[in-house]
Amino acid sequence: MLRDFFMLAARSITHRKMRSWLTVIGVFIGITAVVALISIGLGLDQTIKNQVEKVFGVDTFVLMSENAFGPRQHAGGTAEEYSLDLQYLKSIAGVKVAAAVRQRTGFVQGPAKADGTRTQGFLPVMGLSTELTSEFQSFTGEIKAQPGGRLFAAGDDNVAILGADTATRLGAKVGDSITVGGANDKELTLTVIGILVADDATTGNANGGGFSADSMGQNADTVYVPYDTMDSLWGEGEDVLVTLVRIDPGQDVDEVANRVEAALRARGSKLSAVTYTDISDTIGTITSTLSAFLAGIAGIALLVGGVGVMNTMFTSVLERTKEIGVMKAVGAKNGHILTIFLIESGLMGLVGGIVGTLLGLGLSVLASTFIGRFFGVDMAVVVSPALILITLFGSFSLGAFAGLWPAWRASRLPVVDSLRYE
Amino acid sequence: MPLLDLREVTRDYKLGNTIVRALRGLDINIEPGEIVAIMGPSGSGKSTLMHILGCLDVPTSGTAQIEGTEIHSMSERQLVALRGRKIGFVFQTFNLMQTLSAQQNVELPMIFQGIRKKERARRAKELLEKVGLGDRIQHRPNELSGGERQRVAIARALANNPEILLADEPTGNLDSESGATILELLRKLSADDGKTVIIVTHDPDAAAIAGRIIRLHDGHVTEDKRQPTGGFQNAAFATGTAADGGDAHA
Repeated sequence: MLRDFFMLAARSITHRKMRSWLTVIGVFIGITAVVALISIGLGLDQTIKNQVEKVFGVDTFVLMSENAFGPRQHAGGTAEEYSLDLQYLKSIAGVKVAAAVRQRTGFVQGPAKADGTRTQGFLPVMGLSTELTSEFQSFTGEIKAQPGGRLFAAGDDNVAILGADTATRLGAKVGDSITVGGANDKELTLTVIGILVADDATTGNANGGGFSADSMGQNADTVYVPYDTMDSLWGEGEDVLVTLVRIDPGQDVDEVANRVEAALRARGSKLSAVTYTDISDTIGTITSTLSAFLAGIAGIALLVGGVGVMNTMFTSVLERTKEIGVMKAVGAKNGHILTIFLIESGLMGLVGGIVGTLLGLGLSVLASTFIGRFFGVDMAVVVSPALILITLFGSFSLGAFAGLWPAWRASRLPVVDSLRYE
Repeated sequence: MPLLDLREVTRDYKLGNTIVRALRGLDINIEPGEIVAIMGPSGSGKSTLMHILGCLDVPTSGTAQIEGTEIHSMSERQLVALRGRKIGFVFQTFNLMQTLSAQQNVELPMIFQGIRKKERARRAKELLEKVGLGDRIQHRPNELSGGERQRVAIARALANNPEILLADEPTGNLDSESGATILELLRKLSADDGKTVIIVTHDPDAAAIAGRIIRLHDGHVTEDKRQPTGGFQNAAFATGTAADGGDAHA
């Protein structure tokens, strides 16, 4: 019987082609907007998560100052520093490799010039674990030394790498010696083993990811030294910017991160561990808020479409008053009339939903390509089966819901009155 | 027991602020197999009477029984079921679904009775053949002449094999030749199949096939007269058959 009702409803829709199409257009504009915006939102979310995953992998986490990733994040963007016992960290169960970055300002003297004078001044000195460039490339991005020099290798001590500007200002070349003053008048003479390729050549690396280490390539006025050298100069102190930790295979990253965080905090390090999950969650919150906002706007368009269906159904009921009377005279129950009209309005919603979903997906693919090109990112295109199913079901319901009142009125018409209606 | 039994039936309805007293105390009973013509001028209460006879409406006062059951005591749902099974309607303006073919129109009452598709199709074809439209079952109403449309409507009225056929001015929108075909068809349904046929009409030809004429005036029965049946056989079209009524095809 239901199949016959579908047939009756479909006949009546196709009989009023023009009006039905206009109604359907009203619905599919809304659906298109909803599907496109949600798909773009999902794609954006996926893209960012992909990027984070590419940088982090599933086996790495970051130790940051406890304020850096929380609500009290510095407006200026410089993270607060914390103290760290790197050797202890490496000894914690589950930790495979750890690399830290710490920063101080030191009194630096360049190599002696021909006239015996030396350029000197206070410069940022950054201590890097040698593992940083060998093990955590996804974080640091591509860092290159100029020809003739090299980056840190395991076991390096009492050496330095200079940013391009620093090298020029100090007048230092690879092989020269510079002196760096640390705490308690401690002074070390360091051999320059490399000079970094200047800024603009190393940046603009689109796939470097969010954590691409501005700690190196971009600070052209910095002196870089191995972590051990830093230790010799200043000892352990509250000067660690960030620590990267890779876990042993088979371990759970969140579990190890929690363990490490607890162990180090117990030793007075004011830090917190940030895993891929933490970042994904934070990003997820932002993108889903954005998606909800966009969907809300699109929802208004959908509402307008629903009102359109209602209007069409009201007109339809009115002009078919007599038809309804005849159907009742030949044995249709009120429920039958209600069902037929509900199916009719639901079908219009569904057709709008199908067209809208297809257009919406097409639009999101187009938009993703455009956004991807614009930002130089590989935008993920997400075709969510759940979204499609919900949309199709929802659009049928929207139509049926909008038709509910008119259909109910149609079913309640007294048969004698409807038969008299001209 | 009479098939339909009306006693002291009145029916008032509101038209704006005035109350129209359409029926003012009628006593009518109709026996199975009769052909009854209900005649009267406009406003005499013909249509109202027809609605009550067809269980589309209930009296304001008095009793109306169908096969001994008081329709006033029935729920809306029961009335619908009763109409669906017992009564077939034929309207002056045919009232076919423009969107459906002849066959689908005939199937419609069976859909509401929940009859299976195969059975419906078989019966619809059978009925369309019976009214002489075996070759036009897939035509839409707008592809049929007036007489053909009314024959589709009669086939539709017969769909659930009702005992009563109620025809409201069945020839009112037809030329005399098509009208004669329709009347002959109704007469045969009574004579051959034992259907009770009630015709509300102005048409003297329609009255001629009836074995009984009830005249109404201002909501009263002014005449209830039986006449020799088959009066229509003497009319010019007596030799025609329902199947080839000679309607001009649209």
